[in-house]
Amino acid sequence: MKAKLASFVASFGLPRLIITGFLLALFILAPIVGVDLPMQITNVINRFSWNAILVLAMVPMVHSGCGLNFGLPLGIISGLLGATLSLEFGFTGPMSFVMAVVISTPFALVLGMGYGALLNRIKGGEMMIATYVGFSSVSFMCMMWLLLPYHKADMVWGLAGKGLRTTISLEGYYDKVLSNFLQINIGKISIPTGALLLFALLAVAMWAFLHTKTGTAMTAVGSNPTFAKAAGIKVDKIRMLSVVMSTWLAAIGILVYEQGFGFIQLYMAPFYMALPAVSAILIGGASVNKATIVNVILGTLLFQGIVTMTPTVMNSVIHTDMSEVIRVIASNGMILYALTRRSEVSR
Amino acid sequence: MNNKRKWIFRGCTLLVVLLIAALMFVVGRGHTVYIDNKTLEYNGETYNALQKVEVWVNGERLSKLSKRDRTMTTTIGNGFEMKLINTVNKGDEPTEVTVNLSLPYGWDGILVNIPGYLANLPQEAWMSEFIIEAAPPEEGEEEPGEDEIPTAEF
Amino acid sequence: MSGKQQNAGKTAFTFLRNNTVPLMFILICAVCIPISGFSPSYLLNEIITRLGRNAFLILSLLIPIMAGMGLNFGMTLGAMAGELALIFVSDWQIWGIPGVVLAMIVSIPFSVLLGWVCGKILNMAKGREMITSYIISFFINGIYQLIVLYLMGSVIPIAHSSIKLPRGYGIRNTVSLLNMRQCIDNLLAVRIAGVKIPVLTLLIIALMCILIVWFRRTKLGQDMRAVGQDIQVARDAGINVERTRIISIIISTVLAGFGMILYLQNIGNLSTYSAHSQVGMFCIAALLVGGASVDHASIGNVFLGVILFHTMFIVAPQAGAVITGDSMIGEYFRVFVSYGVITLALIMYEMKKRRQKANIGEQLALAQKEEEQHE
Repeated sequence: MKAKLASFVASFGLPRLIITGFLLALFILAPIVGVDLPMQITNVINRFSWNAILVLAMVPMVHSGCGLNFGLPLGIISGLLGATLSLEFGFTGPMSFVMAVVISTPFALVLGMGYGALLNRIKGGEMMIATYVGFSSVSFMCMMWLLLPYHKADMVWGLAGKGLRTTISLEGYYDKVLSNFLQINIGKISIPTGALLLFALLAVAMWAFLHTKTGTAMTAVGSNPTFAKAAGIKVDKIRMLSVVMSTWLAAIGILVYEQGFGFIQLYMAPFYMALPAVSAILIGGASVNKATIVNVILGTLLFQGIVTMTPTVMNSVIHTDMSEVIRVIASNGMILYALTRRSEVSR
Repeated sequence: MNNKRKWIFRGCTLLVVLLIAALMFVVGRGHTVYIDNKTLEYNGETYNALQKVEVWVNGERLSKLSKRDRTMTTTIGNGFEMKLINTVNKGDEPTEVTVNLSLPYGWDGILVNIPGYLANLPQEAWMSEFIIEAAPPEEGEEEPGEDEIPTAEF
Repeated sequence: MSGKQQNAGKTAFTFLRNNTVPLMFILICAVCIPISGFSPSYLLNEIITRLGRNAFLILSLLIPIMAGMGLNFGMTLGAMAGELALIFVSDWQIWGIPGVVLAMIVSIPFSVLLGWVCGKILNMAKGREMITSYIISFFINGIYQLIVLYLMGSVIPIAHSSIKLPRGYGIRNTVSLLNMRQCIDNLLAVRIAGVKIPVLTLLIIALMCILIVWFRRTKLGQDMRAVGQDIQVARDAGINVERTRIISIIISTVLAGFGMILYLQNIGNLSTYSAHSQVGMFCIAALLVGGASVDHASIGNVFLGVILFHTMFIVAPQAGAVITGDSMIGEYFRVFVSYGVITLALIMYEMKKRRQKANIGEQLALAQKEEEQHE
């Protein structure tokens, strides 16, 4: 029995177990300390719907052996370009969301191709360079947000008449367009069906893709590049495809996030956005070279569950908000754990 | 043998570092000394404030105290030396006194009463701990803001 | 004759390729200095101040590079250890140079512990040390916050309410170090033509350089270089690779702690929750600007790096404001350049590694061919 338990712990991973246990404890504690549970559940589902696509963006690159995509901000920037341009061109309502997706796509493709070409030339050092590509691109765009000729009154600084604001309200544009689409209310719990549907669509598409010929080739490249090369797979091309997919998903992901959150956040906001997505998929059971759709769903639920539940429950128990610190320790601890797994270093 | 010598060497290094640390505790303790020229009541006796006192520290004149005046200075270490140039009553010839004080380790702020000191009273009469009222919480001095935490709101 | 010329051209090209970053920076500085319109004495003053402030911190990066562990993003750990020590020392009210010395001594146990943890973890993640040390710095930052924000004053005794948050526990956003502000910089300071030279600080830095040079020649230093060159060969030679790597990280962390204390005594106050967050990035960027790479860095790189990087840092906002009329542009520009430099250096390092691998492969193939021909 003990051995069985030990092997279960070993396969599941101790940090993962701690995090799951912690979340369970939070859910058990919540009604006892008088926290409004239905509202918390609504919050968790909502946050899940905002973030799931960003986490899904991790999957292709993990499959092709490029590791965790710490360069997620690059894709996010494509999304932000799409969002701001869509608003600048005067689109409103749901149409502005559609146009944001349409406009951000070419940016994501071009940036993703450049990024993929770069990663192909530095195989083995992807994660560190990805991190810094993300950082450089975010800080480069900080200058661009100020310099690019945007003119729409509710996006630029009022006084100067130029330079985008740090946060742009989406009211009247695509604020909650997906969340409100076919929204279901059961008692106090409300479900943002539209956003979940979009995620489901993309997740199913991803699942289906991974089972096509190209998809299996991608997995082959990730698990054994030499073998894949010998089998006649164009390794660089497949890797490039995975990077482009990841970048595009990140662009869509940030747009979905914005529609839920209600604001576009520019400048330094995308800077650290890769870390929560990375740790979410790892909490869900993924590793540096293995990730499934189930990992995405589970991980996002667990991660967002902790993010939402900790502040409220902690506040009612010990009257201080330690959630920030707990989140930092838990998410980075999870990434560290994944990076140090010996079996996965062998790649 | 070699191993033993290595450990002795390491032990000595550690000891030296600890000694330096202990020394720093002694020589580096900072105090704020407040110097008062105020009339002091002690055991039913009254010791009158001086007409005028010049306080010199480290060869520089810190301040010139009239009756009921107070001055302050910071000092590092246990010993504190100052020179007083006293004018007891109006028109008197000033007299020079060098004061050497040993400051109590546990006190951050130390209040020294000059008339009491000059009258050779016991130390507790003219030296007391000076506690500053805790500064009222500053505006906006709350927990660190969101932007200071690495993983921004997500 | 033409062969010689070709050779010269080739050397020039290699020189350019190996020194892209410093040359780029000299260019940036050359363009920005006249535009910014700062007087030479002001610039010189600022550069010397920053040299004294930052050089020690950057020196702490050299030893892990020597041991083949790349840029130690975990130097932030040392910075945090230094900050913890400073919080204690300012609560104990130890001022002036004794305060700085005591803080350095107090920081050692924290640094050694954190460095040991960091080294242990990095040994589990060989080949991806940099990203791992980067994440470690975030992880330990969480623990640092837990200690400083919640445990100090409630579990760990803190006597003075002046450094505590109004709620009674946790440390304030800024801790004043006024009582030790520039105490080392001002002792023995010399003024030449309006430029203040902190002689003692520079002497300490010089001493550190000598120590590093000496350290390279010791048995341990040689071992580290061997580990840095090839882990397998070093192990076959009987070197305890894991232990050597951990020691190199511990040394780096301790030095970073000292460096952070020197840095903060110059600044004069401690931003409790943010002082360390950028320090690693700026130090690494400065070192790379000085012409260092992921696997090679010298003391010369440190000084050239500090001077070039900080010149850019001083002039960029002003130059940006003059060119575009918006001071924020310059601010963002220098952040972008810092990250860009690190990105570029990382890319060049990885590409060089691949090139070398390819070269070795070719040579092997060639040798094999020759052998076959012999038979």
